[in-house]
Order: sequence, then C-alpha cells, then structure tokens
Amino acid sequence: MTTTWIVLGVIVLLVLFAISSYNRLIRLNVTVDEAFSQIEVQLKRRSDLIPNLVETVKGYAAHEKTALESVVAARAKATTASGVADVAAADGAMTQALRGLLAVSEAYPDLKASTNFLALQEELSTTENKVSFARQFYNDTVRSLNQTVKTFPSSLFAGAAKVGAREFYVVDDPANRQAPNVKF
Amino acid sequence: MVNFRALQLANRRKTIGLLAGMGILVLVVIYAALTYFGKTGVGVLPIAVGIALASVWGSYYTSDTLVMTMTGAKVIQESDNPKLFNLIQEVCLASGLKMPKVAIVQDSAPNAFATGRNEAHAVIAFTTGILGAMDRNELQGVIAHEMAHVANRDTLVSAIAATTAGAIALLSDFLTRMMWFGGGRSRDDNNNQQNPIALVVSLVVLILAPIAALLLRSAISRRREALADATAVSFTRNPGGLRQALEVLQADSTVVHQRSTAVAHIWIESPLDSSSVSKLFSTHPPLAERIATLRAMEANPQA
Repeated sequence: MTTTWIVLGVIVLLVLFAISSYNRLIRLNVTVDEAFSQIEVQLKRRSDLIPNLVETVKGYAAHEKTALESVVAARAKATTASGVADVAAADGAMTQALRGLLAVSEAYPDLKASTNFLALQEELSTTENKVSFARQFYNDTVRSLNQTVKTFPSSLFAGAAKVGAREFYVVDDPANRQAPNVKF
Repeated sequence: MVNFRALQLANRRKTIGLLAGMGILVLVVIYAALTYFGKTGVGVLPIAVGIALASVWGSYYTSDTLVMTMTGAKVIQESDNPKLFNLIQEVCLASGLKMPKVAIVQDSAPNAFATGRNEAHAVIAFTTGILGAMDRNELQGVIAHEMAHVANRDTLVSAIAATTAGAIALLSDFLTRMMWFGGGRSRDDNNNQQNPIALVVSLVVLILAPIAALLLRSAISRRREALADATAVSFTRNPGGLRQALEVLQADSTVVHQRSTAVAHIWIESPLDSSSVSKLFSTHPPLAERIATLRAMEANPQA
C-alpha cells in the first residue's frame, strides 16, 4: 500500500518537473523573440533619425561626401535586413558609419553649436544606448535559453517544446579588432 | 574575484540567512514567552502578529501611493522631462523591466527612491536636486539602482522584515506590560517548578528581542542596498557611472528635508544623519564601502 503511494508521489513530482521545464523553455523562447523585436524597434528609431542628421550635417559640411554617403548607404541596407546575423551585420555597419560621421562633425564648430545638432545629440546618444542595451538583453536571454536547452535534465524537454538553441547577436566592431596584439 | 554575479549571489544568500535569523528569533521569543508566562504568554501572539500584519501589509499594498504622499513626490509625464524618460527607457531595455511611473520630489538635496509592490505598480522618484547635480552616466547608474530594487522586489522583502520586527516588538511590549501588572504567570502551570535562571533568561530575551529584531531588519536593508548596486551593474555593465553618482552624493552634505524615519530606508542615500545613527542600525551600507565595491568591479571589467 505504502509503495503504491510512494510510486504515485514520484510520478506526480516527475510530471510537475516536466511541466515546469517545458514552460520555462517556452517562456525563454518567447522572451528571446521579444528581445529581438526590441532590438529591431530601436534600430528603426535610429534609422528614423538619420535623414534629419544627414540634412543638418550637409548644411555645414556638404563636402564630407564619403562620410554622409556611407551613412545613407548603411541606412538603405539596414531597412532590408532580416534574420539575426543580417540585422546584426547591418547594425554594425550603421554604428560604424555613424561613428565616422560624428567624428567628421568634430571639425565643424558651427555645426556642433547649431540648435538642430544639439537637439539631435541627446536623441543620438539615447538611441545608441538603447540599441546596445537591447542587444545586451537579447544576448543575456539567448545565453540562458541555450543553457536550458543544452543542460541536463531540461535538455530532455527541448524536443517536445520545439525549442532549440538560438543565435547570438554579434556586432562586428572594428574598434575591438584593432585591440593591440601582445606578442612575446 | 569581484563581479556583479558573485556579489548578487552573495547578497541574496545573506538576505536569506538574515530572514532565517528573524524566523529563529521569533521562535526564541515564543519559547521565552512560554517559559515565563505559560500558555497566556502565547495567547497574545496571534494579536501581535495580526496587528503587525495589518499595519505593514496595508502600507505594502498601497506603497506606491502612500510613499508618494509621505515624500511629496509628484508623478510626471514624458513631455515634462524627455531626457529623464530616455534614460529610464534605456535601463528598462537593459533589464527587460516594464516602464515604471516616474515622479519628482521638489527638494534641493540629491536623492532618489523606488517603491510599489510589484513591477506593474513600480514608481521611481528623483529629487530636483539629483537631476541638477548629475550627468547622463551618473543618472543612469542611479536609475539602474532604483530599477534593481524593483527587479529584486525589495518592497516585498522590506515588508516581510518590517512585519516580523513589528510583531516581535508588539509581543515583547504586551508581555512586559503583563509582567508589570502582575498578571501573566499562571500558577496552575507547571512553571512553578522552573528554575529561576530560566525565568531570568527568558525575561532578558523578551526585553532585548525588539532590539535584536531591529538590528536584523537594518542588516537586511543594508544587504538589499548592496544587492541593488550589484544588480544595477548587471543592467548597465558600467560600475563607473553608479560609482561617480555615489561620489556626488558623498560630496554633497545637504539632506532631504523630510527626516521621517518611516521612509528613510527607501532612498538611495540615507536621509538621516550618519553621525546620529550607529552603523549597526543604519539602513544603508556606508557610501565609502559601496564606492569601494564598485571600484573593485571597475578594475575587473571582464566579469
């Protein structure tokens, strides 16, 4: 009699564990989707700032053609990107182009003092922060999802939940690549 | 190794240890009451717990509106301060939390607090002083600290600590009163055979318990502050911003005008004079200690 109860208890515990593992996987997978769409929202915000920025810079530094054109080109590429790797690549190119344009603007005190540019500056810095925090949050959630998918015993339920490991959002940043190589 | 993950884990563990200490203290008090007063001593226990629950949980449930009234904080809209809202949205993105309500306290002393019983009812408030005194990075650190309180459910933790400490204080108060009025010790109990040392010890326990409970409550509050600093770094990955913000607070000697101890624990920097409260009873770790911890995290960026 008691053994039946013990067996029954163990089965109930196992079922509860399976349900919670399954739900955790589903929940994490949804969070990753949300985190990715949040990145896209912030990238869209950044894209929307660009025409205004380009116009403002043109007014004072029209001959900085390469810097201006690379921002416009990066924006065009960003609007068509889809999928994590593509979006990340377009994002990296855009970050790079914007950094170049802002570096060029440093040489124009009149531009930097203009009301239009000053108003844009807060928008640009908050958008840059929002993009990078959205990336960070996405990668954090991907990390915990992948851990859950790959580690035992939660890995047992990944198939049933149709949840697999997800792709990290990696922005190729030349600033990191140029880190000094130490040779011995 | 100093990194935010290790610090978060250590502070969470210490909170659990301290809450367990509170639980043990309750048991010790009940045991002392049984020893000294017999069954009548325990009879007042439900009353003490009931009053403590009613008073604390009422304020816990309405914390978002209650604290706002007590501090004079006024809710603002995005159009009132777009830059502040930008900064808060950044921290929301970093933490995955919902956008809280934002409030302003008209006070020249730099300070900030978070309240509300859960994420959906969260309010974070800033004094006009802190908004003027800090740059973007520093303010972001402060916001991350306040949002960390929301993420760690610190309104709930402090409500639990306050309820337990309150119940212990009430119980001790009832029983010492009963003692003065000669009631209490029931003669029909077998307590008459108790040795006098046990009686004296239980009396001392009953008298000292409220102080012990207060010490534990302050220690819990200090752990939650340290935890919020570590969690803030996990959001922004920038210990320098919060460190500079705390240095601004340290350099500033003005203090928030309301010195009500009732809401002292919720501010980022304690509004009470540090000299008037001993370290054991203070609700915050010393600023110098918090700054040193953040510096150690800065020195070890690959956390």
